[in-house]
Amino acid sequence: MATKSVVDQDVGVIGIFKHLDTVCSAIERVRERDDFRGHEVFSPTSYHEIEHACGFGASPVRFFTLIGALTGMCSGFALALATDWDWPLIVGGKTPGLPSIPAYVVIGFECTILFGAIATILGMLVMGRIPNPKRRVLDTRLTDDRFAIYVPGARLDSPQAQLLRECGADEVRAT
Amino acid sequence: MTTPMWTKTISDVNEEILVNLEKPHPAFYAVFGLALSLFLAGIVFVALHTTFGLGLWQFAPPLYWAVDITNFVFWVGIGHAGTLISAILFLFRAKWRNTVNRSAEAMTIFAVMCAAIFPLIHMGRMWLGAYWAMPFPNTNNLWVNFRSPLVWDVFAISTYFTVSLLFWYMGLVPDLASIRDRTKGIKRLVYGFMSFGWRGTAKQWWHYEAGYGFLAALATPLVLSVHSVVSWDFAMSLQPGWHTTIFPPYFVAGAILSGCAMVYNLLIPVRFMFRLEKFILPEHLDACLKLTLLTSTIVFYAYGVEFFVAWYSGNPYEWAIFEKRAIGPYSFYFWTMVFCNCIFPLAWWSKKVRASIPISFVICLLVNVGMWFERYNIIVSSLVEDFLPSAWGHFEPGLWEIVITLGSFGMFFVFFFIFCKFFPIISLSEIKLIMPKPLSGKKAHGGSHHGH
Repeated sequence: MATKSVVDQDVGVIGIFKHLDTVCSAIERVRERDDFRGHEVFSPTSYHEIEHACGFGASPVRFFTLIGALTGMCSGFALALATDWDWPLIVGGKTPGLPSIPAYVVIGFECTILFGAIATILGMLVMGRIPNPKRRVLDTRLTDDRFAIYVPGARLDSPQAQLLRECGADEVRAT
Repeated sequence: MTTPMWTKTISDVNEEILVNLEKPHPAFYAVFGLALSLFLAGIVFVALHTTFGLGLWQFAPPLYWAVDITNFVFWVGIGHAGTLISAILFLFRAKWRNTVNRSAEAMTIFAVMCAAIFPLIHMGRMWLGAYWAMPFPNTNNLWVNFRSPLVWDVFAISTYFTVSLLFWYMGLVPDLASIRDRTKGIKRLVYGFMSFGWRGTAKQWWHYEAGYGFLAALATPLVLSVHSVVSWDFAMSLQPGWHTTIFPPYFVAGAILSGCAMVYNLLIPVRFMFRLEKFILPEHLDACLKLTLLTSTIVFYAYGVEFFVAWYSGNPYEWAIFEKRAIGPYSFYFWTMVFCNCIFPLAWWSKKVRASIPISFVICLLVNVGMWFERYNIIVSSLVEDFLPSAWGHFEPGLWEIVITLGSFGMFFVFFFIFCKFFPIISLSEIKLIMPKPLSGKKAHGGSHHGH
């Protein structure tokens, strides 16, 4: 798994791969080395093989979802109850306030979903570090059909570039 | 489902699906022109109707909810298939969804937009209607009644719209990045901005996948709840024909039926116009029809149970409404509904009929007609005779109702075709997941594939 990025620029060496299995075995080799700190793996889509090779566990996005959903639930019930206490509205002889909780479940439920969904999106953006206008596109094929391992701060004649070639990268170049 | 026969690889995906951003098929302009003219006619009629008032519509008390609320329920129903396909089928790992989810989600967004307009049109002064519907206190500091199903409905529909929009846009982000990487100049800037600068790193995909799963888990109860809440607009009243506990599941099944039929009706022209036959395979269309058939049989069952309960309850008022629906002045609407929603779809038990695109297309159109009639039938035949026999009457839709309804179809198709022109119609990143993986063939790679 990529550790904390030490070099924040888009200058380094990128190894482009054509095949999923090649890139996965390359990732496993790269992770064992110390000189690949801050490396990034690129994939055209969310292959689980890559996730496994990178050794990712459960994503922290789940905490965003949980906190968002709980906040939403509380706000939904709070909205209905607070307005009720502000001006009790007796309709059809129905008692306002706490005895009306069953009717407020709908509001609480909808707000749970709404806040949970918004928090999930925020979580994905925050954890994925996007939007980040400082980063640029390293290779336009990475959103098409190519995989890549990018090593920031490395040079073409460095051992990192050599390893990427050994692992079967179809192309290794400086960015 | 058997393994589909892919003739394409993931390297063909971006190249061949994004042809829709180039010059479209001439049929595109013809359909778009037709939709635009209907939309404009609808705008003119709504403008006149807003200027001169609700009196232009044919209805009279007690029938306040006629074609406008019929359209509202119809469009919300259409919207259901999108989230069902994107969320529930995602959790079930149904792979065929990956080819159709994008257009189905777009359909949801536009259908809910069409739906949201109708309560506003219905309230006459729509600027006030929008204000009253929101949970704000009025000048006397009086709040909306949170025990009213109409307020629940506002919450349900607005949550549904927002969550569907987020879900749809989240799926679009990596695809917009794909377009960004294929274009230059101002287009590249616009798509780059819209894609939030997505880079496609493994870490981003990891969080994206997790987020997508959670959104699906949140949207799943939402799909089932939204039409339940819509049905409570009716079921919470004491009106005979409305006041039944079967309404929530019955409405949800009907919504999914009409939504799936609409997905098929949209996919066929889109598949033809943008030459997507190699990506939307016959197996995927077949799966969509099977889902439509399943929901059709649930709806069939619900119609039967509704009648049985009306008779078995021994409530003469309830039974009178059902009698009126089946053999009274609304029998045309009732039997059209039964044949279109329950009888014609039975043809799909035959594999040959499912494989025939023209026949299935026509049946799907009929299902949509039938579902519109179902809502009309429920709303009008119940409401036209309420508790004051002196106010009873008969209702048939007139010019205003028909033009505004067609206008909403125009609006829906205008938005849908604009979407088809500027966005990827098939989710690029998700279809790559169900296609054969790009393996070197040197050695078998471990690790199972979970689908997306």
